[in-house]
Amino acid sequence: MRLLPTVDGPDQPFWRALRHGEVRVQRCGNCGACRFPATRFCPQCRSETSEWHAVAPTGIIETWCIFHRAYFDGLDVPYTVIQVRLDCGVRLFSNPVGVEAAALRIGLPVEAVFEDITSDVTLLKFKPRKAHQ
Amino acid sequence: MARSGSVAVVGVGHTRYGKLPEYDAYELGFWALKEALADSCLRFEDIDGLIVNRIPDYQRFCEIAGLNPSYVSITPGQGRFCGICIATGAALIRDGLATIVALVYGNNGRSGGDRYGGASDTYGSGGSGQWFPYGMTSPGAFHAMMARRHMELYGTTADQLGTVSKTFRDHAALNPSAVMRNPFTLADYHASRYICEPLRLLDYCLINDGGVALILTSGERARDLAQPPVHVRGCGMATALAASSFPPDDFWREPMRKAAATSFRAAGVSRNDMSALMIYDNFTPTVLFSLEGFGYCGEGESGSFAAEGHLALGARYPTNTSGGHLSESYMQGWALNLEAVLQIRGTCGERQVKDCAFAHYMAAAPVVTSIIYGRDPS
Repeated sequence: MRLLPTVDGPDQPFWRALRHGEVRVQRCGNCGACRFPATRFCPQCRSETSEWHAVAPTGIIETWCIFHRAYFDGLDVPYTVIQVRLDCGVRLFSNPVGVEAAALRIGLPVEAVFEDITSDVTLLKFKPRKAHQ
Repeated sequence: MARSGSVAVVGVGHTRYGKLPEYDAYELGFWALKEALADSCLRFEDIDGLIVNRIPDYQRFCEIAGLNPSYVSITPGQGRFCGICIATGAALIRDGLATIVALVYGNNGRSGGDRYGGASDTYGSGGSGQWFPYGMTSPGAFHAMMARRHMELYGTTADQLGTVSKTFRDHAALNPSAVMRNPFTLADYHASRYICEPLRLLDYCLINDGGVALILTSGERARDLAQPPVHVRGCGMATALAASSFPPDDFWREPMRKAAATSFRAAGVSRNDMSALMIYDNFTPTVLFSLEGFGYCGEGESGSFAAEGHLALGARYPTNTSGGHLSESYMQGWALNLEAVLQIRGTCGERQVKDCAFAHYMAAAPVVTSIIYGRDPS
C-alpha cells in the first residue's frame, strides 16, 4: 500500500490546488514571504495573517539523491528525489519526470508536472523547462 | 564573558559496544556510570548534578541508580545534544549549581530495532511526513543531498569520502572496543552497496547498543581525584534551526564558524594547537563539512584535504582515533568525547597520539557544538 499524504490537514489548499493544476502556497499577509508547509505564524515577520496564493509553477533544482534502499511500499528502487526551490522561494522535495539522474544539474530550471495518483491525491513533480521559455 | 574556574573531566566509563539485547537504555547508562565512577574513585552519593541523554526518563533512571541529585535534566536522543550536555554540565559547575556532574548516555537502538527512515522517521523537527509520498526520508538521504551538492560545487569525489571511512576503520583496527575492526581498501569501499546515492553503506555510521558516562567537576576538586584531570577548556554552540527541514546552503559553515570562535576564545588556543580532532561522523560528508566550517581547511577543499591523509594517526590532525561512529560505535558523540579524554590522558595504547595536549570535539548539524579539551587548566 502506497503511503499517501494527508490532504485534509492544514495544507488542504495546497493539495486542492494541485488537483486543478495550480501550485498554491501560504503567503504572509504582512511581509509577503511565501511558506510551505502551513504554519499559523510567519517565521519571517511573525504575523498571523496569511492567504493561499497561486505561485509560478517553476523553479530550479538545488540538489538530489538516489534511493537504493526501499523505505516505503509501492515505491520501487532505485528512485530519485530532487530538492526544488520554486521561484517564490519555497523549497520542496519531489521527484523528477522525463529526465535521467545523470542529466540533473544544480540550477537546472524545472516546471511542475501534476501527477494524479488517486481520485483525491495529486503529487507535484517536476520536469526540465524547455529553453527560451 | 566566561566565569573564572576551570572544569575537568575526572571520570569516563563505557559499556561493551555491539548487540546487547539483555540491557535496556537505562541499564546501559547505569553500567557506563558505574564504570565512570570507578574510574574517578567517586561514589554514586557524590553526584549532585545529573543530565541524561537518550535515556527515556530521568526519574526512573534515578530510581534505578538510587540517586538524589540537586540538579537533574533530560535531553532528547539526538547526537547534537551530546555537546550541549557537556557545555551545560560545565556551566552548572562554574555557576555553583552542582559540584560533581554525571552525564549519562544509554542507547539500545540496535536491539530496540530503531529505524532511521520510513514512516516512523522523525529526523530533525519531525515534520517530514509530507515528503514521504515522494520517497524522501532519513537522515542519510538528507546528508546524501548535501554530499551531492558538495560534489557538484567543489568536485568532491567518492574516493575522498571513501578515504574518510577507510581512515577511521584503520584507527578502529587499533581499538579493542570498536565494533568494526577489519580494515578495507578503497576498492572495497567502491564495492559496498549504495544506500542513498552518492552515499554507500560504508559512508553510514553503525547502529549498535551501548552507553557512555562522563563525570565533571571543578579543576580544584579534580586535583584530589584518581585520574589526571582533562580540562574542558572551551565550549561553543550555534544553531541554524530556522528553515532546517532542508539542507543549509552553506553546509552549516556560519554556525560552525561562530561555535569555533567562541570555543577557541574561551580556551585561549587556536587550531594549530590541536593534537587530535574528534568529528561527529554520522556520515562521511559531515566530516568534510566540519573540516571546512571549523576552519581546518578552506571552503570546498575538505575532500582533497582528507584524501591527502591529514586525518590519519601519525599525520597532522589524527581524527576519530577510536574509529568514530563509522567504525567504533554509534554513541552519538559521547564515545568521541571519551576518546578525547583518553587521548589527553595518554592511555590509548597502539592508537595513542604522541604528546596529545589538546583535542577538539565538533559536531555539525542544525545545532553545532564545539568543545576544546586540554591537559592543562589554562
